[in-house]
Amino acid sequence: MITVYKAGNSWLHGIPAGRKLLALTLLLLAISIWGRGAIALGAGAVLCQLAFLAAGFGIAGFARQIWAMRWLLLVMLVPGLIFLPWQTAITNTARLVECVLLASVFSFTTKTADLLKTIERAATPLRRVGVNPASIGLVLTMTISSIPLILKFAGNVREAQMARGVQPNIVRTTVPLLVASLKHSDDFAEALMARGVEV
Amino acid sequence: MILLNSVSVTFENKVALSGVSVQLPQQRIGVIGLNGSGKSTFARLLNGLVKPTSGTVAVNAINLSIDARAARAQVGFIFSNPDLQIIMPTVAEDVAFSLRGKGLSAAELDSQVAEALERFGLTELANEAAHSLSSGQKQMLALCAVTIAQPALIVADEPTALLDAANSAQVQNFLLNEWQGQVVLVTHDLGLVETCDVLLRFEAGKLAEVGEPATVIANYKKSFA
Repeated sequence: MITVYKAGNSWLHGIPAGRKLLALTLLLLAISIWGRGAIALGAGAVLCQLAFLAAGFGIAGFARQIWAMRWLLLVMLVPGLIFLPWQTAITNTARLVECVLLASVFSFTTKTADLLKTIERAATPLRRVGVNPASIGLVLTMTISSIPLILKFAGNVREAQMARGVQPNIVRTTVPLLVASLKHSDDFAEALMARGVEV
Repeated sequence: MILLNSVSVTFENKVALSGVSVQLPQQRIGVIGLNGSGKSTFARLLNGLVKPTSGTVAVNAINLSIDARAARAQVGFIFSNPDLQIIMPTVAEDVAFSLRGKGLSAAELDSQVAEALERFGLTELANEAAHSLSSGQKQMLALCAVTIAQPALIVADEPTALLDAANSAQVQNFLLNEWQGQVVLVTHDLGLVETCDVLLRFEAGKLAEVGEPATVIANYKKSFA
């Protein structure tokens, strides 16, 4: 589910990151505002498939991404079906899935360094109010990079609890995960300094 | 050249290093000592990650207390946990991150990154998620990301602690045989430092001994026998 750049020569790979980001934002807004009803959601689904085809990942790549999102689908759909009318639950889930799929195509076809430069450029006006645009870009990039690591910590905590005969649950997992993440953030700050980033 | 003059480091009233003075012109420098002996504090001093409470630390005549940023540009640091060192999502991007701010064109950047990845056998993994690599591959990535910036000195704090024998040998071979700059290797693995040019032994925050690796290792073993 965590998406990173996949090298390729498709025309989507060639579009500058800023234009792609703008297009993605507009598409996500459109899906959020008008993505109701079978026709609109169907059109969104077709658009997602076309985006995967245009990026050179094919139907197989599209299917892999849907499979990677299976838990998100479950988490969205099951409570929705219990607490909301079924049409609303399906509509909400479908809209979210379409948004994530389009965002995935963006991540797959955009180098992080290009995204970083775009964010820094877009944030340049904030310099006037004392915000460093480079820091904003770096923080966003590190957030993307750290997600797999936090998931790994969560896996380690669950394994350690199971090894000691404790059934993991969200309460038991949260505290050690928080401690591990905070410890990591301290160590990571040191590593950043070692690589020449002043924090 | 590494120069420490009467260096002491105190963390919240606890003395981590006390009165360390040493001059190290040698190329391959090993550092050993028990846990809490001060060897990691010594390593961190060399990159300005830890500031001396008193005394001065200089690397290639740059005083770290005066210009830590300039000194850091000369000193690459390798941590025992390679996960810590990954900043960017993919392997190639993480290596390229080390060259930010150098004013290179995109073509120059790509070429230097490709060359560095090839040297460390990471070319096939260039576009993989950096955190998905094995520990050995991550440590090679860390070495690649550090060396591409061409530091004068590499400080490696237990770089093989989480590696298997094969990966450990690969890291050892690079640091002690291939790397042409100065290297400080902090480790508990005595086999790793026996071919160093000089070995430092720390004990209870003090520099207990500096000398030939064979002699220092023998004395170290006696100290806890």
